[in-house]
Amino acid sequence: MSVTAAIESWSGNPLDVGPLYPWVGGELLLLIICVALWICWTIWQIKTENAGYAKEVQELKQQGLSRFVGGK
Amino acid sequence: MENQLDALRVIFTEFYYWVTVVLMFFIHVGFCLYEVGVSRRKNMLHTLMKNALIMPLVTVTFFFFGWWIYFAFQNGPGITGGLKGAAWSTPWSELMGPHMGGKPASADLSAEDTATWARLNGVFWAAFVLFAWTAASVLSGAVIERIRSGAFWVFAVLVGSVTWVIGGAWGWSDAGWMVQRLGYHDAYASGVIHAVAGGSALAILIQLGPRIGRFRSNGTPRTFPLHNPWMVVIGVFLIYTGFWGFYAACNLPILDVDPDDGRTFFSASTIYLTPTTLGAITVNFLLSLAGGMLAAYFFSKGDPFWTFSGGLGGIIAASAGNDLYHPLQAFLIAVVVVSCAYKLHYWVERRWKIDDAVGAVAVHGYCGTLGVIVTGFVLWGYPSSPNPEYASITPWGQLLGAIIMLGLLGFLPCFILAGVLKRAGLLRIPLEVEIAGLDRHAQVEESQQAEEVLEAERESAGNAG
Repeated sequence: MSVTAAIESWSGNPLDVGPLYPWVGGELLLLIICVALWICWTIWQIKTENAGYAKEVQELKQQGLSRFVGGK
Repeated sequence: MENQLDALRVIFTEFYYWVTVVLMFFIHVGFCLYEVGVSRRKNMLHTLMKNALIMPLVTVTFFFFGWWIYFAFQNGPGITGGLKGAAWSTPWSELMGPHMGGKPASADLSAEDTATWARLNGVFWAAFVLFAWTAASVLSGAVIERIRSGAFWVFAVLVGSVTWVIGGAWGWSDAGWMVQRLGYHDAYASGVIHAVAGGSALAILIQLGPRIGRFRSNGTPRTFPLHNPWMVVIGVFLIYTGFWGFYAACNLPILDVDPDDGRTFFSASTIYLTPTTLGAITVNFLLSLAGGMLAAYFFSKGDPFWTFSGGLGGIIAASAGNDLYHPLQAFLIAVVVVSCAYKLHYWVERRWKIDDAVGAVAVHGYCGTLGVIVTGFVLWGYPSSPNPEYASITPWGQLLGAIIMLGLLGFLPCFILAGVLKRAGLLRIPLEVEIAGLDRHAQVEESQQAEEVLEAERESAGNAG
């Protein structure tokens, strides 16, 4: 028998069946992990974007911005 | 579900909402096409990614807190009561996952909760997520070609998963305090989605400033040619297509709408649980689309961009009362509101130098707000709810409701947040990048890759003789 399964058999009374997913009771932990991932992703994205623009500005200044006016 | 009638009612409702979700996906496809078509070639990829990432970010945050806010904030809180308990909508609820509706595993749910929500929680949630994407997407078009993606996605989460949801809780639910106290009526979300999103876009645009070159030194605007008008047209038409799903998702498809305990009468209903029919709203949808397109064509002298946007504006203008309007009322409201919104757009643009790249504030903000106000006059005295204790629809209730949606929930939070991001240097892209184009880096990489492949082909051709 699996330690994760919420259901042991489909042959019982369906009215007794509640949640179907594995690890019932672990939802809060999953939520904490997912919220942390979202926050970390947001911080990473903003930092990466800032660094990208800083590098881009440096390159553009070195090459002369007027070269890029009217760029498509 | 122990009898076939009950099973048919529940599973039909589940399937009905599933279809609306699929249809509403076209709104987002349309927004992406539309925005990329409007943006210049040098910014296309950035524009696409900025909009496309709304989908995952608003989806997860709506799961984290949006769905709960919708139920928990219906009393304000603090206006008609405290935070409401809604155990089925918390992100840790077992009813957010696959569930057969039987005995609950957690103590905060009753057997009645699981029986009611097991099959419908997911599809209701998904329909609301698609509404949320729409709200966030409205901002996206307005601010193209100069906003930082990171900043935009913070706004997308704020509007998509918080502010419009509060508007929905207050004025677009059967027990919202605005419905109870103001008799607020907004059947197809002119205010709760479009006015909130339009007000938010306006606030960000003020803080963000116009694109370089948008205004001449004498203050008159320059026109940025559309890079691909066909993409714009197909985009708007797909938004129209998705709007059918949006309208259908604002209804409950089958409900006992007879308030007398001893009788039953099944009908489609609005989100306020007041009766309507799918036929009625379909006719009104088309007539308001027609009114908006004709008015916009007239005022813009046949400009395709405004004509198609005007169709969308017409639908949004009549949406607040399209459950009850006569089709010709819907048509005339669309004509009048779209005409006003068109004029207002150019007046605001010249007066305050607002560079709204796609006319989002006009189409969503002005049409939505004016549409809510007009409803107060046209539907004056109608009951807002089956509950006889709720206020009835009035012009002042709708006016106050429009101010709350556009100003309090739309404009104010985004104006403050945009100001904070601006001070932190996180709102607008650097001037150099704006001039060179947001896709320059990707274009350089692409040409290097193409050159490398070409080199390989030349080499192969040489070897082959």
